[in-house]
Amino acid sequence: MFKKTKVRFIIIAVVILLSGYSLYWSFAYATMSEQEKETLRRKGQLDKYKSRALHLGLDLQGGMHLTLEMDVPTLVGNLASNKDASLNQAIQAAKKASNQTEVQFIDAFEKQVKQNNIKLAKYFSDYGYKNSAIFDKLRQEAKDARSRALEKIRNRVNQFGVSEPVIQKQGSNRIIVELAGIEDPERARQLLQRTANLEFKLMKDPQVTQSLIQSIDRYLKSGEVSQLDSIQGDTTESASEDSTAEIKEAQDTTVDVDEVLGIGGQEEDSGQKDTSTAAVVDKEMMKEKPFSSLLRNSQQGMIMVPKKNKYHVEQILQKEAVQNLIPYNSAFYWSPEPETRTLRSGETREFYLLYHLNKEADLKGTYVTGAQASLGGSRGAAGQPIVNMTMNNRGAKEFAQLTGSNVGRRMGIVLDNNVYMAPNIKNKISSGRTMIEGFDDMQEAKDIAIVLRAGALPAPVDIISERTVGPTLGQAAVDIGVKLIIISFILVIIFMGIYYKKSGLIADFALILNLFIVMAVLAYFGATLTLPGVAGLILTVGISVDNNVLIFERIREELAKGKTVKSAIDSGYSSAFTAIWDANFTTIITSFILMQFGTGPVKGFAVTLLAGVIASFFTAIFVTRTIYNYSTSKEVKQELSI
Amino acid sequence: MQFLKDTHFKFTDYSTRAVGISLTVIVIGIISLLFVRGLNYSIDFTGGTLAQIKFQREVNANQIRDALESKGVQKSVVQQTNRKNEYLIRLPEYSQEGGLKNKVNQALASVDPNFKNLETKGVGPQIGEELRQDAIMAIISALIAIAIYIAFRFKYYFALGAVAALVHDVLFTLAIFSFAQFQISISTIAAFLTIVGYSLNDTIVLYDRIRENMKTSRTFTMKDLIDDSINQVISRTIITSLTTFVVVVVLSFAFGEVKIFAYAMIIGVITGTFSSIYVAGPILIAWKRKLKSS
Repeated sequence: MFKKTKVRFIIIAVVILLSGYSLYWSFAYATMSEQEKETLRRKGQLDKYKSRALHLGLDLQGGMHLTLEMDVPTLVGNLASNKDASLNQAIQAAKKASNQTEVQFIDAFEKQVKQNNIKLAKYFSDYGYKNSAIFDKLRQEAKDARSRALEKIRNRVNQFGVSEPVIQKQGSNRIIVELAGIEDPERARQLLQRTANLEFKLMKDPQVTQSLIQSIDRYLKSGEVSQLDSIQGDTTESASEDSTAEIKEAQDTTVDVDEVLGIGGQEEDSGQKDTSTAAVVDKEMMKEKPFSSLLRNSQQGMIMVPKKNKYHVEQILQKEAVQNLIPYNSAFYWSPEPETRTLRSGETREFYLLYHLNKEADLKGTYVTGAQASLGGSRGAAGQPIVNMTMNNRGAKEFAQLTGSNVGRRMGIVLDNNVYMAPNIKNKISSGRTMIEGFDDMQEAKDIAIVLRAGALPAPVDIISERTVGPTLGQAAVDIGVKLIIISFILVIIFMGIYYKKSGLIADFALILNLFIVMAVLAYFGATLTLPGVAGLILTVGISVDNNVLIFERIREELAKGKTVKSAIDSGYSSAFTAIWDANFTTIITSFILMQFGTGPVKGFAVTLLAGVIASFFTAIFVTRTIYNYSTSKEVKQELSI
Repeated sequence: MQFLKDTHFKFTDYSTRAVGISLTVIVIGIISLLFVRGLNYSIDFTGGTLAQIKFQREVNANQIRDALESKGVQKSVVQQTNRKNEYLIRLPEYSQEGGLKNKVNQALASVDPNFKNLETKGVGPQIGEELRQDAIMAIISALIAIAIYIAFRFKYYFALGAVAALVHDVLFTLAIFSFAQFQISISTIAAFLTIVGYSLNDTIVLYDRIRENMKTSRTFTMKDLIDDSINQVISRTIITSLTTFVVVVVLSFAFGEVKIFAYAMIIGVITGTFSSIYVAGPILIAWKRKLKSS
C-alpha cells in the first residue's frame, strides 16, 4: 500500500515539475527588465521566452482587431482585359445590390449580366467563351485573391513581431486580423493596406559577395582592435562572449571562409569539425573573421545563416560603416521564413537564407499576369512540380532582354523585400511564358505561385472595421477583474476549509494545483488567454470544487452509516466516481465540440475548459486520494476531519 | 459543519407551481424579446459608428460617456487610445443624417469645444451575425452530442430531461436579459456557455443518483424516487452552488463587460440549480410514472 502511494507521489511531483517548467518562461518573461530583454535578444534567445510565455488576448492585453474586406468589384474590373460603359455599369449595379442585400457580389453581377444580355467573352477573353465558364473562373479568382491577400497579410504581420497573430478567413471575402499588444495602430494600418510589392532582382556575382564579406570581416576586426567605434566594439564583444559561453552553439558558426562562400556544389554543413579542436578554431575564427564566422556554407551565392545568428548579422549589416562598404547598387535580403536543414550529424537546424541582390528591381512584378503550379509535362521536368508564370507583352519584352543578357545568373523573386526563391536563369525567355522548376514538393510550388500572383492584379483590401483596445481602460477593468477573482478564490478556499476542515484543505490544494496545471497547459500549447478563457477558468474552479464536494458528501454519508474511516473513504470515492465521470465527460464533449465549431471567444472558452476538466480528473480524484491514502496508511484513523 | 442533514423535502410536490412560475417568466421574456424590448445587443452584434476623437485638453472616459448620455445618446463605448487625449467612441447606431451627429457633436463640444473628429465610420453588423451563428451552431451541436451520450449512459428519456433543463436555463437567462436590458456582447456568449456547462453538471449529478437508486431503491413511484434522490444530493448542490455563487457575486463588483458577465452567471447559477431539481427531475416523472408494476 505504502509503495503504491510512493509511486503516486512521484507521479504528482513529475506533473508539478513539468507544469512549473512550462510556466517558468511566462514568469521569467513577465519579470524581465527591458535591459535583460535586450541582452537576450542579442543572443537570439528572447523569442524562446516570448513564444513559451502565456499569451494574453486582445481583451486582457489590448491591441488591435481589424476586419479586412476584399474589394471583389475592383478585382473583377481589373481582370477584364478591356472595359466599356456597359461592363462598368453592370459592375456598379451589382456592387450596389450586394451592398444593400446579403447577395454576394459575383452572384449579383451574374444577374446583371443576364438582365442586360452582356457577352462576357468580349471582356474576359482569357477566361473562356461561355458566360458560365467565365463566371466559374471569376469565382475561382475571387477565392484565390483572398488566399493571396492572406499570404500578403501574414507576411506583413510577421514584421511586427507579434506573437501568435490571429489571421483568419471570415465569410466569403473577409479576413480578420488580431494583433495583441500593438502599440502603434497607425503603422499597423499602413502596413496592412499597402498593396504587395513584387519585384525581380538579379543576384550579385558570388565572387563580389565573397570579397564584400571579407571586407566586412576586415572592418569589424580593425574596429575591435582600435576600439574606436563603441557600438561596434560592443557587438564584437558580445559576439565573442557568445562563442565562449556557448561553445556548443559556436560550432555552428565554425567554418572556413572558402566553405562559407564556396561556389558550386559543395556539400552543405561541411563545417562540422572535430569537437576537440572546434572551440579553439572557433575562437580564432571569431577574432579573425567576425562576420563570416556567423554565416554558414552557401550554394551559388545563397548564404545560410543559422536562426540564432540572424539578429547579429542584421545588427552588423545595419551599421553605417558596413552599409558604406556595400556597393550602392546592391543590398542584402532575407528569406521570409527559416528553412530546416539536416546536418551531417543528423541534427536538424533552422537557417535563414541571405541574398545579395541588386538594389533596384530589374523587373517589376506588375507585369506578371498569372502563375499556376502544376506537374511538369515536358522533357526535363516531367512529373516534377513546376510553376508556369505568364507576363504581359511589355513584361515579356523586358524579360527577354533581361534573361538574354544574364543566362547563368540567379534572379531573386522578392515580395515586400523578402526573397522567396532565386531560380537560375537557364536561357533567354522571350515568349513571356516562364517555367520555374526545382521545388521540393507541390505545396512549395503552390506557395510560390501565390507569391507571384500577389504582385499581379492585386485586389484591393479595405479595412472595414478596426478596434483598438485602449490600454488605460482595458488595464483598469482587467486589474479590478483580477483582484476580484483572487478575492473570490480566497473566499472559496476559506469556505472549503471551514466546511470540510482538513479534508477541505486537501480539496483546496487540489484546486490550486488544478489552476496551476491549466495555466501550464495553456502556456505549453501557445494558447491565448482571453476573457472567455477566464470564464472557462471560473467554471473549472466550480467543477474542481464540485468533484471534491461530491466525494466528501459521499464519505460523510458512509461515515453516517457507521463505516470505518478507511472503508468510508474507499466507498466514498468509488460511488462518487460515476457522477464525476459522467458530469466531466459531458463537459469534455461540450468543450471539444465548441473547440471544433466555435470561433474566437467560443474557442477560447472551450480550450481552457477542456484543459481544466481533464486536469480536475487528476487533481480532484488522483491527488486527493493519494493524500488520503498516505494519511490513513500511517495509522488507523478513528476519526476523519471532514 | 453540515447544512441540510438528512432532509426529506417533497420537492416534486411543488414542481408544477415552480415550473409554472419559471415558464411564465420565460413566456413573458420571449414575448418581450420578440415583440417589445428585444435584446440589447452591444456593438459587437449591431455594428454602428466608430469615431476617433482628439481633445485639446485633459478629459476622461467617464466625462465623455456622461456628456453623451445627457444628450440622449445611450450605450456608447468610450475607449482611450494610446495617444494623449484621443478616444475611440462607438455608438450602436449609424446614420449620416443630422440627428445623431448633431447630438454627438453637441455632447463632445460640451466636454471640450475644441475637439477634433479625426475619423468617423460605420462598422458593419455582419461580423456579429456570423459570430452569433457560429456560436449557436456550436451550442446546438453540443446539445445533440450531450443528448446522445446521456441516452447511451442513462436511459433514453433522461436525455430529454437534460436538454430541456439546458434550454430552460438559456431561455430564462435571455428573458432576464431582455427585461433588464443587459447588453449582449462577446463575453455574454462566454457566460451563456458557462451557464450551460454548470447546469449540465448539476443535472448529471442528480441523474447519477436517480440511476443508482433505480437499481437499489424499493420505492414504487418515480416521484418518490426522484424526491429521495434530490434529498440525497441537496447538500452537495447547495455547497457547489454556494461556492460558485460567491465567485460570481464578488465578480459582479467589476465594471463593464465583466460585470454583465457576472450578472449572467448569477442568473445562471440560480436557474441551473432550479432547473436540475424542477425541470430535469419532473420530466422523468412525466415520462414514466411507475417504476415497477406493483
